[in-house]
Formats: sequence, C-alpha cells, structure tokens
Amino acid sequence: MNSSGAGGDGKHDDDSALAEFLSSLMDYTPTIPDELVEHYLARSGFQCPDLRLTRLVAVAAQKFITDVASDALQHCKARLSAPVKDKSKQPKEKKLILTMDDLSKALRENGVNLKHQEYFADSPQLEMDPSTREEN
Amino acid sequence: MNDGGKESGQDNQNNNSTKKSSLPSPSSGGADDFSRSIAKIAVSQVCESAGFHGSRHSALDSLADILIQYIHDLSKASHFYANLSGRTACNVFDIIQGLKDLEAPRGFPGASDIHQCAVGSGVIKEITRFVDTYEENPFARPVPSFPIARQPKPITSFAQVGEATAGKHIPDWLPVFPDQHTYIHTPVWKERTSDPKADKIEQVRQRRKAEGSLLGLQQRLACNGAAMSAPAVDYIGKGKQVVGSNPFLAPPLPPGEKQVSEVVVPDEPAEGKRVSILETFAPAIEAAKQGSFIPNVSLKNRVLPSKRPTVHFKFGVDKNSIAMQVSSVAAGAKRDTWFLRDDEKDDKKRRAEMILKESMEKPDGLAQL
Repeated sequence: MNSSGAGGDGKHDDDSALAEFLSSLMDYTPTIPDELVEHYLARSGFQCPDLRLTRLVAVAAQKFITDVASDALQHCKARLSAPVKDKSKQPKEKKLILTMDDLSKALRENGVNLKHQEYFADSPQLEMDPSTREEN
Repeated sequence: MNDGGKESGQDNQNNNSTKKSSLPSPSSGGADDFSRSIAKIAVSQVCESAGFHGSRHSALDSLADILIQYIHDLSKASHFYANLSGRTACNVFDIIQGLKDLEAPRGFPGASDIHQCAVGSGVIKEITRFVDTYEENPFARPVPSFPIARQPKPITSFAQVGEATAGKHIPDWLPVFPDQHTYIHTPVWKERTSDPKADKIEQVRQRRKAEGSLLGLQQRLACNGAAMSAPAVDYIGKGKQVVGSNPFLAPPLPPGEKQVSEVVVPDEPAEGKRVSILETFAPAIEAAKQGSFIPNVSLKNRVLPSKRPTVHFKFGVDKNSIAMQVSSVAAGAKRDTWFLRDDEKDDKKRRAEMILKESMEKPDGLAQL
C-alpha cells in the first residue's frame, strides 16, 4: 500500500520490529492499569479485543505523562537553583514539589493550556471545591 | 521515596482514600470517582518515578484529568481512523495514526516523511525507546475490572413458581401476577360485633336502675322532710349553708314531736320552687352524669310530696354548680353545634331541650339558672 523506496525488506523489518515491540509490551507492565485504560477506551467507542493494543495505549499515555512530569521537574529545579542569595537558605535541600505553576509551564509546551487561579474573590464560607482552593 | 510525605509507593491507595475522605468529593462525576482516583494514583506513581518528592493536590488532580483526557482523545482519534477505513474494530495502525495526531503540536521525528511506513514512524520509535529505557513501575494495587455489570433480577414466571395461570389464554411463561395484598385494600381494624338489641336492653336497664335509686332517694327525703324540723342552721344567699349534723343520719322523729318553724314560710315558695327546680333537674343531671337520659321527668313530679321540704341540703351547692354547667352547656350547645360530632350534638341538644322544657312547664319564671 505504500509506494515507498524502502522496498519489501524495509517493510519486513518494520513489521518484525512492530511485532517484536508488541510482544515486548506484554512483558512490560505499564503504570497505568489495564482496567482503567479499557474503561476509557470503551467510553469513547474504541473496540479492540487485543490486549496488546490496550497496552500500547497505556504505554503511550504513560510516556506522555512522564514527559510532562520531567519537564515540570526541570522547571522546578531551575526555579530552586535560580535565587541569588544562598546565605539564608539552601534551596538545593528543599523538597521538589510539583506545583500548578510548573505543571502549567510544562503542559504549555505539549499543547495543553492549563491556567490556575491565583486567588478567589469569594468568601471562604461559600461552598467551593477544596481541591482548587488549596495553595498557590 | 515519599511524595511530599503524603504518599509512598505502597500506600498510594490508602493515602488517596484518606485524601478523598478528608476532602468532600466534587459534585460532578459521581460514577467517575473510582476511575478518577485510580488515575490519580497512577499519575502520582509516575511523578514519583520522575523524581518529585511531593506534589500539590490540585496539580495531581489536573494531571489525572489530563491523563484521562489523553486516553480519551487517543481512542477517539483511532476510532475515527478505523471508521474512515470502513472498519469498526481498531487496528494498530489506527492507534499509530491517532498518536501522530496527538503528538503533532509537539512534533516528532519523521512527521514530515510521507513515504514511510507507519510502523517505522517516529512515534513508535519513541515509544520503543521509552519502553526500553524506563524501568517497569507497575500499578501499586490490584484493580478490579470495572464497571461491574449488574445482572438484572429475572422476574419469575408462572411456570417457575408452579402457579396455575388465571385463565387458559395466559401462557405460563409470562411473569406472575402481583400478590393480592398489593392491590386489595382490606380493613385493618377489628370489627366490633354490635348487637343493637342487647345494647338497647342494657341502656333501658341502666335507666331503670337510675330511676329506681332516685325514687328511693326522693322518698327518703320526703320522709325526712316531714319528720324533721326546719333548717337548724341559717342559710346564706343561694342556699350556701353548713349543716351541723347530717339530717339523714339522725333517727327519724315521731310525727309532731318537733315543731317546724314558720319563719321560713314567706321564703318557702321561692326556696321551695328553687329547690323543686333543682330537684327537678337533679334526675336529669344525674342521668346526664350517668350517661342515660330519662325522658319523662313527670314521674318524679308525681312522687314529690305535697309538703315541700324546708331542709336545705348540702349538695345544693353542687346542684347549683351542675345546674350552671348544664345551663352553660345548654346555652353553648346551640353555639357549638357545628363543632361537635353528630351523636354528641344530638345528646346535648336533647338534654338541653328537655331541661328547658321542664323549666318552662313549671309555673315559675325563675331564670336563676
């Protein structure tokens, strides 16, 4: 189907590489559980009884999250090492906390716009979602 | 390594659950909570392996949300590509194409290469590299397969229960009829066996008994009145007096021994009448108290002696007060007729009417009631 210049051998190589990869997927257990991925796949109309494809999706999602997390980590480290004055505190010893700020910066590179509200103008007595009311 | 002291690799589930219990869960997505919390745990594990010591709640929430959204978008895209090729079941190529769509903003090597087989694309290469480099970090807890499909309870059919159908036209594989108690309303109270004849007999017997006792009382009074003297004590106002000794308990005097003083005579008519009225009402009052009504009071009148007793009785006070009550009832019965129930109203009305009739019959215009 592809009129590629690679010819038949390349195709075979690619096929075998893919087959190998898919079989290797069965050995690798992704962090994201299969059941969760299957649940969301079924929700969107994805139909496939093959477990390898489910694993593929799980691995792809994990790769994405890992990339985002590593980018955020770099941002966090950059922020910690940036301050000029080192006399009062040692920022290197401080714990690396994933904050909304770093996360939004990392996600922006991946095409996700995440904006977090700095503060809320409403009174704290009102019923609000506490997860968005915490920090930052 | 701890995630900000809140989670550890093995205690993710516990801490997540405690976090969930301490924070009220958002109102939206009640059925989604389970999968969302699992996603949160997975994301926290990934962050931990990336090198973070801790994380904010909101950041974790957002990242879990993004993960779910990513899976959703990828599956939607691959499903779209499968449909485009005229299939409903997705292929590995569909997934690869979906991945390319998602990675497009970021860019991946080989994106501009149109003549390359999809298998050799940069996306797969990156994923392969990812799998090879990153060490395995499986999910911390076993996850049950969800959502759990609930088996609907099958409705029992006639054949299953063994019941005979209501008619030949009803096949026995149809569901059974509901129980009779679900649609038939049966009275709950215990039906009292009311025997009107026995009730009437009992009522008449009670009345007769009351009449008989009153009769005896009247006779005794008459005897005492004839034998005994005038009031031994002075009376104040409306017959309020204190009798030193009970005249009923004193032995009967022979006739003519004691002289009845004539001082009281001028007041006698009034007193006598009043007493007579009171005495007239006495049986009605007693009957009302006992619950049986004596319609004919004329019987009493006949029994009354010609010589009116001049002794004032102690229970005149009570009589008076009762008479006042009765009069108030009589007066109020007309007012409150519509508040009373029918039987009560009739009873009180009857009583009031009888009392008024008696008072009218008597030739006295005493409205002292």
